[in-house]
Amino acid sequence: MNPGIGYTALILVSAITTIIGFYGLRVSRTTSDFYVASRTVKPWWNASAIGGEYLSAASFLGIAGLIAISGLDALWFPIGYTAGYLMLLFFVAAPLRRSGAYTIPDFAEARLESATARYVTSVLVVVVGWFYIVPQLHGAALTIRTTTGLPSWVGAGSVVVVVCLTVVTGGMRSITFVQAFQYWLKLTALAVPAIFILLMLSGTTGSGAAIPAGTELFPPSMPLSGDSTYSTLSLMVALLFGTLGLPHVLVRFYTNPDGAAARRTTLIVLGLLTIFYLFPTIYGVLGRVFLPDLAANGYPDATVLLLPGTLIGGLGGEILSALVVAGAFAAFLSTTSGLVVSLAGVISQDVLGGSVRGFRIAAVFAAVVPFGVAMVTDSLALAGSVGLVFAFTASTICPLLLLGIWWRGLTDAGAVAGMLAGGILCGSAIMLGAQTAADSVWRDLLTQPAAWTVPAAFFVTILVSKATAQRRSSSVSRFMTKLHVPERPLAVDNPRTQPN
Amino acid sequence: MSIGPSRPPAEGRVRVAAPRAQATHIPYRTSVSQEVAEQSAVGEVMVRSLIRSQLRLALVVTAGFIAALLLCWALVHLVPTFADWRILGVPAPWLLLGVGIYPVIGACAWLYVRAATKNENQYRDLVDEK
Repeated sequence: MNPGIGYTALILVSAITTIIGFYGLRVSRTTSDFYVASRTVKPWWNASAIGGEYLSAASFLGIAGLIAISGLDALWFPIGYTAGYLMLLFFVAAPLRRSGAYTIPDFAEARLESATARYVTSVLVVVVGWFYIVPQLHGAALTIRTTTGLPSWVGAGSVVVVVCLTVVTGGMRSITFVQAFQYWLKLTALAVPAIFILLMLSGTTGSGAAIPAGTELFPPSMPLSGDSTYSTLSLMVALLFGTLGLPHVLVRFYTNPDGAAARRTTLIVLGLLTIFYLFPTIYGVLGRVFLPDLAANGYPDATVLLLPGTLIGGLGGEILSALVVAGAFAAFLSTTSGLVVSLAGVISQDVLGGSVRGFRIAAVFAAVVPFGVAMVTDSLALAGSVGLVFAFTASTICPLLLLGIWWRGLTDAGAVAGMLAGGILCGSAIMLGAQTAADSVWRDLLTQPAAWTVPAAFFVTILVSKATAQRRSSSVSRFMTKLHVPERPLAVDNPRTQPN
Repeated sequence: MSIGPSRPPAEGRVRVAAPRAQATHIPYRTSVSQEVAEQSAVGEVMVRSLIRSQLRLALVVTAGFIAALLLCWALVHLVPTFADWRILGVPAPWLLLGVGIYPVIGACAWLYVRAATKNENQYRDLVDEK
């Protein structure tokens, strides 16, 4: 690929992101602007921003790569990513917005009245965030290596620098604009080349590559086997219950004006995700046919980046390639900055006193540590490594949130025990799984642990809570009322209370 | 402050009267929202029933959605003839998992939001009733 394409795309996206970030700076003045955009973000803006933040390297590059490798079974990934929002909508969105807490540790402290629970939650949130940033940086490294030939650290490093600049200057308010823009950029960057490619292949526009006669575009799925059934089931558990614990997703809900707006926002997000996820499938299917050696060489995640240039020649192909590369960078930037904002919120509130200055220091810290980790680790398949983060979140933060919101019996001891049990089980399973031989019967259980670690974490949480019932928070009734009782409509919004 | 008639009671007798007996009568009513705010037993019952109905709703829709997912999975993996159907050249399993399942997700979300808002409106009507 012409290296100029990579440079142009990278510089354009970084420049636009920074400009929108600075524009946001002009309207971002108070601490509340910094942390929660003063809770005045409209559902459409917020939904675009959530979509922008959520569609990470795994969605933009990873799903197509996975479809190129494993075919039909990979389609469960986008289904799980989308359906995770359904669970978020059902169980978490409105109550969490009403809780008035800003971060998950804030929620833990308010619900359980325990500093220990807060501390454990903070540590877990930071761990989850860091391990989610690492695959984004791997994706950036891969993109830069594929498109320009520069060493890996340039890609990861430029993402970290741009993210630090935008977050440090504008905080949450400007990030909301940046994220919303990046959703639409990502959608355009996948949709436009895909539509061009499909038009070309269907023979309506001139010459170009054609599908070789007799090629089976849609190979039949693998024969049914026990382990693939377990893997799919476990993956779905991880994605359905992992989404509702992701710190960068949850922090977005605090920027809604009220609980009902939080629900409307989620509904719009589901629509935006649905439209987006139609396209990676197209790339994956075509990548199997036209770029089969990518999967064989161990770089299936580059399918999306190389497909437009391979199929469409000339200037058109170069422009479309630049668009795809720009979209990929938007994916790394938006997810990373969302994570950095939420981690900076947690770190600065717990360690640095919650000031704007503390937020800035914490933001840089939150971005630099995963950069170090990304530089010393090898890139796994992006969709797979993000899937593991979901499994870890589902085994640790999900029980705290679900039981905290819906069950009065949860105690601080129960929550801490459940989070630690889930975290230790899931973490050690992932580490053991990476070293297990491919033909071992334990391999699937260890590499896709969510199906047993999530129930185990719930079980421990409930058991310990029951055993320590005397530790129930004294204010649980009041807090439950706050979570579930709808807010009073503001007088101006309600025509019935207007004087006639 | 003296209360009652100006004439003192007869000698040897003591007038016993609660001051409130002559206070202006204020009708005493508690709105349900006050009960909720004061965490009285009535308010507690109302909130508990709201939480229960919201949880029941969420669990029912989740169960329905998971049943739909299982049905899709079974169609794709357990019905061999399903893979032979093609629409515009795309096999049915790819269409189902790549496109068809998303409207189901959207429908579940829409149904839930409608029902949850209805629950909250019912609660609000009950509480605001004077």
